[in-house]
Amino acid sequence: MNSVDASEHYELGATDLSPSLLTIVIDTNPQAWAVLEDSLPLSKAIANILVFINAHLACNYANEVAVVASHSGKAAWLYPSHSEPRYRTTDHDGDVAMNGTSDPTPKTNKYRPFRIVEEQVTRNLKELMDSTTGDDLRGNMSTMLAGALTLALSHINRRTLAWAEEHGGANAEDAAADGNGGSGAASTNRYSASNEDERLQSRILVVSVSGSADAAHQYIPVMNSIFACQRLNIPIDVCKLSGDAVFLQQASDATKGVYMALAEPRGLLQYLMMAFLPDQRSRRHLVLPTRVDVDFRAACFCHRRVVDVGFVCSICLSIFCEPPPAGDCMTCGTHLDIRDNARPALLPRKKKKKKRVNGASGTGTPMSTPTPGP
Amino acid sequence: MASATSRPLEYLEGLPGTTFYKLYQQPSTALTIFRRMLPDLAKCFVMALLYLKDPLPTADLEVWVNSESKKERDNALSILGRLHILSTTLTGENVRAYMITNPFAASLRQALMGAEDSHSFGVFSQAPAHTLTSIADLDEYARRQWEGVLGYMVGTSALSGQRDAVSLSKGVKQLLQAGHLVEIRGNRVDITKDGFGFVLQDVNTQVWHILILYVESAEAIGMDSVEVLSFLFLLSSLELGSSYDKSHMTPNQLRTLADLADFGIVYQEDADATHFYPTRLATTLTSDSSALSNPVTGSLTGPAGPSGGSGSGFIIIETNYRLYAYTSSPLQISLISLFTNLKYRFPNLVTGKITRQSVRRAIEMGITADQIISYLLSHAHPQLRKHSAAQPNGKGVPASVLPPTVTDQIRLWQLERDRLRATAGFLFKDFTSLTEYQAPCQYAAEIGVLVWKSDRKRMFFVTRHEQVAAFLRSQKVGGK
Repeated sequence: MNSVDASEHYELGATDLSPSLLTIVIDTNPQAWAVLEDSLPLSKAIANILVFINAHLACNYANEVAVVASHSGKAAWLYPSHSEPRYRTTDHDGDVAMNGTSDPTPKTNKYRPFRIVEEQVTRNLKELMDSTTGDDLRGNMSTMLAGALTLALSHINRRTLAWAEEHGGANAEDAAADGNGGSGAASTNRYSASNEDERLQSRILVVSVSGSADAAHQYIPVMNSIFACQRLNIPIDVCKLSGDAVFLQQASDATKGVYMALAEPRGLLQYLMMAFLPDQRSRRHLVLPTRVDVDFRAACFCHRRVVDVGFVCSICLSIFCEPPPAGDCMTCGTHLDIRDNARPALLPRKKKKKKRVNGASGTGTPMSTPTPGP
Repeated sequence: MASATSRPLEYLEGLPGTTFYKLYQQPSTALTIFRRMLPDLAKCFVMALLYLKDPLPTADLEVWVNSESKKERDNALSILGRLHILSTTLTGENVRAYMITNPFAASLRQALMGAEDSHSFGVFSQAPAHTLTSIADLDEYARRQWEGVLGYMVGTSALSGQRDAVSLSKGVKQLLQAGHLVEIRGNRVDITKDGFGFVLQDVNTQVWHILILYVESAEAIGMDSVEVLSFLFLLSSLELGSSYDKSHMTPNQLRTLADLADFGIVYQEDADATHFYPTRLATTLTSDSSALSNPVTGSLTGPAGPSGGSGSGFIIIETNYRLYAYTSSPLQISLISLFTNLKYRFPNLVTGKITRQSVRRAIEMGITADQIISYLLSHAHPQLRKHSAAQPNGKGVPASVLPPTVTDQIRLWQLERDRLRATAGFLFKDFTSLTEYQAPCQYAAEIGVLVWKSDRKRMFFVTRHEQVAAFLRSQKVGGK
C-alpha cells in the first residue's frame, strides 16, 4: 500500500528535464580590448568562448545559445543571425538546410550544431568589426550594454514562449502577462515555484571588459533590464576581464548570478567551464563564486554621475546629485519642497532621503531594489 | 525518462575497461556518452576538469559541492567511475585527486574544438541535388518501418491488412526472437511479457532496447561489438535531412547500416546506394525523450500520415475512467485495447473505459501498472497537459497530467494481485521452553531484524542471523 501515495504521481512528469538557453553578451568595445591586447586578444577570447558554447550545447540535446555583441554605440546579434547569409537558409529551429551545391565541402570533423554556431559568430563578428570605422570610436568610449541586455531579454522571452507552446504548457500566458510586470510577487511565483523545472531555463552571461565610468549614462535602461531579469528569474552571470563595472555587480547580486573578476584573463576558458557552465539546476548543488562586497552605488538621473549620497524623489524614487531645478522632479514632475537647498542632508527629512551608502562597509542593507520610474 | 537512460547505461557498465578504451577513441562516442549517460552534476565535473592541467584534489571537489547535495555528488562520481571517465591519482604531495581518463578527455576536447579531420561525425555525400530526400519523407519512412516492427510483434499487420504493410527482413525477426520479445510457435507470432512491456515504452527507449539487443547479438554473427557500438554513436550525431557518404565505411559498418535500414533508423534507396540518410530515430538517439517527443512520436503514434500534427498526444482520460483516443492506427488501437474495454470506434476516434477487469487482464499478461501509466502519460493529449499546467496545486508541484484517481486506481488494481511478498531470511524454531524462545526473539526485535514471530509455535523469522546466533551462544554460555 505504501507505494500508492500522493507524492508518487508527480515524479513521472518531473523526470523530463527542460533544456537551458544561454545568452552570452560579449562586450566588443574595441578600445577596451586594445588595452587587453597583451594578455588576451579578442580573437583568443572568442575562441575560448566558442569552446564554452560548444560545451554548453553538448550538455543537453535541446540546449540553446544566443550571442549578442555589445559594441561601441550599438548592440548586434552574432548568433542566431537574423540577416540571412547567402548560401544557406535557416529554418525556425536553427537547423541549416544544406543544398550541397554551392557549399562544396562542408567540414564534417565537427558536430553539426557546433559548426553552425562557430561559423555564424565568427562571420558576424567580422562583419561587425569591418563596419566599425575610426570615426565611430573617436567620440565614443562606451559599450552598448543596455541595448545588448534588452536584445537578450527579448530573445529569451520569445524562446520561452515558443518553447512553452511547443510543449503544450499553459505557461505561455504567464510569460506574456509577465512582460509588463503586474504584481511582482505573484509573477515571480509563477515562474519560480510552480514550474521551475518545466520551463526553458534561461540565463545571461555578460563578458565585460569596459569600465564603469562610461556606462553611467545607461544607468536607467541597464537597471530596468536587471529588474526585468530579477522578476523573470533569469540570473545574470558576469565575467569581468578588466575594469570594474558598478552596475554589473548589482546585476549579478540582484539576480543571484555569478560574479567573477578574472585575476588572470588568460585562463578564461577554465573560469568559464568551472564557474559559468553549470545551469540553474546544477547550481543548487554547487558552491559558486558570488561577490560579497557589492558596490550598490547608483547613477543620478540628471547628470548620470555615480553618486554616494544624493537626493531621492519621495514619489518616484528618482535619484539626483543636486536638487532638481525649481524643485520639480524631472521624472514624475512632482513639486518637491526643498528647504535648505545646499547639501544633501544625511538625516532623513520629510522630502529628502539619505542615499544609501556604499555597501563596501558591509552595513548597507542589501538592496531592496526600488524600480525606477516607468 | 529514467528507464530510457538507465538501460544503455546498464549495458555499458557491464563492458570491460578495455572496451571503453576503444570506444572513447572516437570523439562522437565521447560526446554522445557525455550527453546521454551523465547526470547534470557529473557533466559539470567533467567540464570543469576537462581543461585543467593538473588533477583536481578530491578535497577541492568536495568543497565545490554544497553540503546538502552529498548524495547527488556521490551518485555523479560513482557513475563517472563506472563509465571509466573519472579516475583518481595521487599528486606530487600525495593528495588524492581526480582526473578525466585519457582517451575520453582527448576525444571530448576534440569534439568540442574540432581538432583534426577524423570523419568521426560522418562524411557528407556529394550526391546531386535532385536525388535528395526530404525530411518529411524520412519521417514517413521511419514511422512506417518502426510501426511495422511493432505491428509484427502485436500481430496487427496480419489482421488488418494495412495498405502500407512492410515486409520485415529475417534479421529483424530473429533479433526480436533472440531478445525474447516474441516467440514463434509454428506460423504464429506470440508476444511475450517482455514484449508487452516493450511496446508500451516510448519510442526512444524502444530504439535503445533494440539497438542494445543488436549489439549483443553482433558478437554472435562475427562483428566486433565495439565497432558496432561506436557506429551507433556516430549515427546519433549526424544531421537529419542530409545524406552521408558510404565509401569511408568498413564492411562491418555497411552491414550494420543495412540492418538498421530495416528498422527505419537509417534510409538508403537501395542496398548498393553510395550514400545514406539518418532518420529522426537515429538523430534523436542521444536526446532526452522530451526533445524528440513532438516530431517523431507525433508522426509515429499519432494519426497515421505524414503530418502528425504538432502535439504528440492523442489520449484523453477522464476521472470517470473513460478513455478517448484520437487515432486510427491499428497498432495504437490494439495497444490501448490491451488494458481498456473498447466500446465504440469512429474513423478517427476510439472510446473505451478502463475497468478493474481490463487492467487485471493486462496485468495477467505481464504488463505492469507503471507501464500502463507511463504509456498513457507519454501519449496524453495536449489538452490534458494544458489543463494540468494551468492549475498548479498548493505545494508548488504541478498537478499530474493524468487524473490522480485513475493512476492510483490502476496501481491499486495491481496491488490486489500482489498479496505475497518474499523476504529472504532465517527461521529460528524448536525452542524447548517459552523463556528460551522469548529472550532471542526480543533481542531480534530490538536490533530490527525480526520479520515475523509466533509465540504459540515458538518460532520467529529474521533477515540476518549472525547477531541472533551470537546472542544465543552467549546465552548458553551464560546459562551454564
